[in-house]
Amino acid sequence: MPILEVRDLCARYTRSGPEILKDISFDVEADDFFAIIGPSGAGKSTLIRCINRLVAARSGSITFDGRSVTSLPARELRSLRRDIGMIFQEFNLIDRMSVMDNVLSGRLGYTGNLRTLFRAFPRTDVQRALEMLHRVGLEEHVDKRADELSGGQRQRVGIARALMQGPKLLLLDEPTSALDPKISREVMGLIKNMAQEFAVPCLCNIHDVNLAMEFCNKMIGLQDGVKMFDGPTAEMDQAKLDEIYAMEVL
Amino acid sequence: MLSTLDTDLRRTALSADEVLAIRRRRRWSMLAVVAALTVMVVWSIDVTVIEDTDWERMGSVASVLESAGRFMGVDWALFPDLVKPAIETFMIACLGTLLGVIICIPAAWFGAMNITPFKPLTYPLARLMMTLSRSIHEIVWALFFVAVVGLGAMAGIFALAVRSVGFIAKMSAEAIEDINPGPVEAIRAVGGNGFQVLRYAILPQVLPQILGVIVFEWEINIRRSAILGLVGAGGLGLVFFRQMNTFNFPGVTTVIIAILGIILVGEVVSYFARKAVI
Amino acid sequence: MKAANPVEADRAALPRDLHWQRYKYPESLYSYGAWIVVLSFLAFSVEYLSIPLERIPAMFERMAAVIASRYYPPDIEYVMDRDYLDYVVQTIQMAYLGALFGLLLSVPLGWFGSFNMTPSRRFVYPVARLFTMGFRAVHEMIWAILFVSILGFGMLPGVLALTFFCAGFAGKLFAEEIEAINMGPVEAMRAAGANLFQTMVFGVFPQVRVAFTGIGIYTWDVAFRAATVVGFVGAGGMGWYLKRAVLQIETERVAAIILSIVILVLISEVLSAFARDRVMRMK
Repeated sequence: MPILEVRDLCARYTRSGPEILKDISFDVEADDFFAIIGPSGAGKSTLIRCINRLVAARSGSITFDGRSVTSLPARELRSLRRDIGMIFQEFNLIDRMSVMDNVLSGRLGYTGNLRTLFRAFPRTDVQRALEMLHRVGLEEHVDKRADELSGGQRQRVGIARALMQGPKLLLLDEPTSALDPKISREVMGLIKNMAQEFAVPCLCNIHDVNLAMEFCNKMIGLQDGVKMFDGPTAEMDQAKLDEIYAMEVL
Repeated sequence: MLSTLDTDLRRTALSADEVLAIRRRRRWSMLAVVAALTVMVVWSIDVTVIEDTDWERMGSVASVLESAGRFMGVDWALFPDLVKPAIETFMIACLGTLLGVIICIPAAWFGAMNITPFKPLTYPLARLMMTLSRSIHEIVWALFFVAVVGLGAMAGIFALAVRSVGFIAKMSAEAIEDINPGPVEAIRAVGGNGFQVLRYAILPQVLPQILGVIVFEWEINIRRSAILGLVGAGGLGLVFFRQMNTFNFPGVTTVIIAILGIILVGEVVSYFARKAVI
Repeated sequence: MKAANPVEADRAALPRDLHWQRYKYPESLYSYGAWIVVLSFLAFSVEYLSIPLERIPAMFERMAAVIASRYYPPDIEYVMDRDYLDYVVQTIQMAYLGALFGLLLSVPLGWFGSFNMTPSRRFVYPVARLFTMGFRAVHEMIWAILFVSILGFGMLPGVLALTFFCAGFAGKLFAEEIEAINMGPVEAMRAAGANLFQTMVFGVFPQVRVAFTGIGIYTWDVAFRAATVVGFVGAGGMGWYLKRAVLQIETERVAAIILSIVILVLISEVLSAFARDRVMRMK
């Protein structure tokens, strides 16, 4: 059974605004590294935000781990979200907090309000955060402020934060497009290794086709909100890419 | 080559005459504004200064200088009596600011467009609170609170608190409206609730700015608290008016020096507070 | 490919003492210490000023009762009286003159008191700063009292008090604005051989013109707020009425006067916000 099933998903930002996504359907299996490619403005970011309902879908169904995402009340939505880790293009770290606090913030879904107020996380969470930081290679920077780090290091903090949740799915929203090519490859490699080790499937929104071809096993191609391709990465070829990116050339 | 460029320029650019004409027109409209302002000034001076002033009583320049001269000198004997009121003034300013900050929390929360809980009701309510607080002078607030809670420091603290809410809340709300939405999205994505978003994504971003505003307002509150004694709300102001009413003019100067002294203390503290915040 | 428990499996590679504490010995001590000092100072203040904390909850009830019984209904007729309206106009004029003179004074203060453009950093700058700070440090009511005692009752002391107040207020803002300019045009003017005044007019003024206008309007707004109460100490305007009503314990009139002040200030605030908005858009 696929971990994530998306059926006939449609989305728009405002009631009368243009349709951003039109009848998108796809499945993510438990061991997939799934890529969404397409030119900018194709609706990739909206699609990925529909999965954890940062953007509400207008119609269609999303089933994650047997739960229907689109119809959950607020409390269950939060407990669903803590099962889905997310890594952002602009890292979305809390700049003025330390690396440690940023990583710990991945556990907020499991933490009560009083503990949140005093930033008093349980010992096991701190332990886990240290392990995560060790794995992403940042253990020396534990007490630095997040805005003191370089772009690549900041994204590593983002990865550690997402994995702190103990997620069953990782959403990657253009994780490398704010980084330079060499760092991009390192970060993608790190994400892939960690995802395999923790057995977490990934849904990755990616602009750089070469990276997608190298790291992903399946992909869908979006163009202007419409799915143009769906299949294993091996089946993707230049002609199909040209078709997907046709708009961008113009 | 050069000649074609030349003709092109001539076709598009304004001639010197036209430029001068535009400038002349602009000068005329400026002149009209200045003339209107001048008429207002002359009229106002006539009403407020020439007609209203009792020139007889004021007398010559020499006698004005003489009455100003009465303030020269310092009444050293008064200093011991100033220590307690000066400390009181300082404390009233501190507690007033603190209370203002506490009242400010709901005001800023409701008054920030992006996090206000129920936009059609709470947002206008908070804006009304801010405007009311800022538009009423501290003397008027102090009068009101003296009537309600009686003479003493308490009325002063309330007056300062209510008076500071407007500015602090307005600046805080603006800071909250200007935050980077990225961290908010991140905390929501890990499954955080509204309070956690506030604590982790919003507060760290706006805290330095808000603390700066609070320190700024606290400095102003020190100035304000020194005059609250005028309406019986405690502190140095009371001594000031006592000196004034007994015509002890060097004493008045002494009190002003004391006020400047606490303001200086405030400036020094706020300098270090600012450094610590940033 | 998948380890049974990768975290466990990798633990051998981790440093032995995985340990982290939010509390770090010297730094945390300083910040917690500072907190304790501040909080105990505040507690001491409550004690020193003998604030009856236990009475505060009852106070709100009393507040409502006082307003309902004594200040309501406001005596609106009293403030619609012709004499009172005359005083309102005079208050506006007083604020206008005070703001104008204050602004005229604050332009040189701002220029001389800006570190980058001051004619002499060693002499003029500290003097200008001292004057700006002095004007600001003394509250407008104290200026009003001093001028009343020197010049007698009337609007002249009010205008002078507002002038001093506005000069300090706007002088500081002007200086900050000048310090924030782009120095490129200034250098260009200097390179073209302009003197100090010409540099000011061509290099600095165009950059700060819009901001100065905005500050000027704001200053008028602030001056008007102050003008409504300087009469309280005999410096002319509506404040005098307020004082009289307070002394005679005519609370319903006091309420009406306060209400009229609030309304006037709101109007002036709306107008000044509108004017500032227009000015900013001209940028």
